Amino acid sequence: MERSEEYIKNERKQEWRVELQKLTKAKDRMAIERVEMTEMAPEERIKSQRVEVNVGLTKEQAMLEATRCMDCVNPTCMEGCPVSINIPKFIKNIERGNILEAASVLKETSALPAVCGRVCPQEVQCEQRCFYVEKLNLPSVAIGHLERFAADFERESGVISVPKIAEANGIKVAVIGSGPSGLSFAGDMAKLGYDVTVFEALHEIGGVLKYGIPEFRLPNAVVDVEIENLRKMGVKFITNYIVGQTASLDDLREEGYKAFYVGSGAGLPRFMNIPGENSNGIMSSNEYLTRVNLMGADSEESDTPILRGKNVVVVGGGNTAMDSVRTAKRLGAERAIIVYRRSEEEMPARVEEVHHAKQEGIEFLTLTNPIEYIADENSRVKQIKVQKMELGEPDASGRRRPIPMEGSEYTIDATVVVVAVGVSPNPLIPNSVEGLEVSKWGTIEVVKDKMQSSIPEVFAGGDIVRGGATVILAMGDGRKAAKNMNIYLQEKYLSNKVEH
Amino acid sequence: MKEFNSLEDILDFAINEEQMAADFYTELAGKMKHQEMKDTFEQYALEELGHRAKLEAIKSGKKYQVSEAKIADLKIADYLLDVDVDKSNITYQEALILAMKKEKIAFRLYNDLASAATDEPSKKLFLMLAQEEAKHKLRFEVEYDNNILTEN
Repeated sequence: MERSEEYIKNERKQEWRVELQKLTKAKDRMAIERVEMTEMAPEERIKSQRVEVNVGLTKEQAMLEATRCMDCVNPTCMEGCPVSINIPKFIKNIERGNILEAASVLKETSALPAVCGRVCPQEVQCEQRCFYVEKLNLPSVAIGHLERFAADFERESGVISVPKIAEANGIKVAVIGSGPSGLSFAGDMAKLGYDVTVFEALHEIGGVLKYGIPEFRLPNAVVDVEIENLRKMGVKFITNYIVGQTASLDDLREEGYKAFYVGSGAGLPRFMNIPGENSNGIMSSNEYLTRVNLMGADSEESDTPILRGKNVVVVGGGNTAMDSVRTAKRLGAERAIIVYRRSEEEMPARVEEVHHAKQEGIEFLTLTNPIEYIADENSRVKQIKVQKMELGEPDASGRRRPIPMEGSEYTIDATVVVVAVGVSPNPLIPNSVEGLEVSKWGTIEVVKDKMQSSIPEVFAGGDIVRGGATVILAMGDGRKAAKNMNIYLQEKYLSNKVEH
Repeated sequence: MKEFNSLEDILDFAINEEQMAADFYTELAGKMKHQEMKDTFEQYALEELGHRAKLEAIKSGKKYQVSEAKIADLKIADYLLDVDVDKSNITYQEALILAMKKEKIAFRLYNDLASAATDEPSKKLFLMLAQEEAKHKLRFEVEYDNNILTEN
């Protein structure tokens, strides 16, 4: 699993790679324009929550885009990938038309390539470190699009490879939470021969990939195929099982589990604590998205349909806010509005998501902050009192903070409000396990890069440690934890000294 | 409004206020269910004792100045609801709200006292105290801005 420089260099010297390198001159590679992802037309896609926005690349498009890749001696793109995918190797396999092999390369280090190809912020990770960006100031190779293409091609071909699995060692490990971090960890531990069981509190596997990210960005079927692949690798899944409630960590110890990976996420919504926030019609983005994505509450036949409205206001500027506001549009809102207290440049949402939202007719009220909700006689929200903000002088950290403008208050109509101003870690495990060190933010404290908590056999990663991050960073944590838990368990139970 | 007969009187009042704030946080720490929040409020109590020490140094003769520069006011505390201090499971978000609101009340008090002061030395001292409280409030507002208002 480890990617030494020597390994990367030797891979690059393989005959087929050398032949490809010679096949097209560098200047001809550089002359190719970056591929444009085909998208569904905005007016079409807003008719359904389940029509994916990005359509994907054709094989011809992908092979041409792969030709742009220079197969660098020092592939800096890999340094930008939290799970260390061998990027040039998978791309060069696409260039030579061996797409199934490209998919197999992805799976060497990533449990969820079709997911990452869709939701990773590649523009600030691998693609930002691409030769084209760093040395030529040109658009990077479309690594994310190619990753998605290879993973989709394999899934659609029906010929799905299963990574090599080491001989079973009989050691049971438990994973708490089936989000990206837990799945990534489970995949790596299964490859190492461990007996892995994932416990999930909800009725569906996938965590935030299912309840958080809407299907127009990430279809559930795509997630399910990746989960099925983990099953084929021997990973067991138990749903409707809340560790810390259904059973404690001690109960699981008694059942023979020798170590634990806590990836229980940040599922606790955060509110602003402003007057009127308890009015009817105001909900967290967690609730809004979970009910639509996981419970099908957008269906006319649903027993508990989601509240729809003419004017839906979403508070926040992150990806969750974009997912919520675009969902509202698809549910028929005449006006779907983002209210964000900073400027557009500071929005944490991916540029692509903001672009798609604008295409879909989402309105943006930036440098605007809600200060009070006004309800009608039935305690239903009807208006939001907002205040205009301006960016202050840079402070000691160099950051310009938003400051309210005196006398700038006004109201906007709102029939539904979705609050997407951040999340807190799920408190169940941090509060129920004796001896587990927890930060003031409620996150589990771990030894950095080892992901080991104050209890030696308990490792943790993803949002329960970071408090709110990306899918790929959570996956990276899962991989680090697997590597270090393997060392811990080998030394404790298998009497093998492992090189650190 | 409270009467002050000397600058020493004003400083004694302010020192006592800081001690009361420290005692308030220490008591809150004792009530908290979770260790991390006990630690948080103990830390806040220590910060208040630090403020007290600073004022004691002034009382002992250390020079002070009223800065010309205005301390930034992010006004985050202005619109947030009060926190219920009787519960034992205060979150860190609530702890920050509580702290910034307390600092804001103190800032207003000293500002009002400065406006009401009839002699220049007392006015200057109150303004310095108000500035100190504004700085403390900003410290909590910046932490709130950086960590709570993160918009996922």
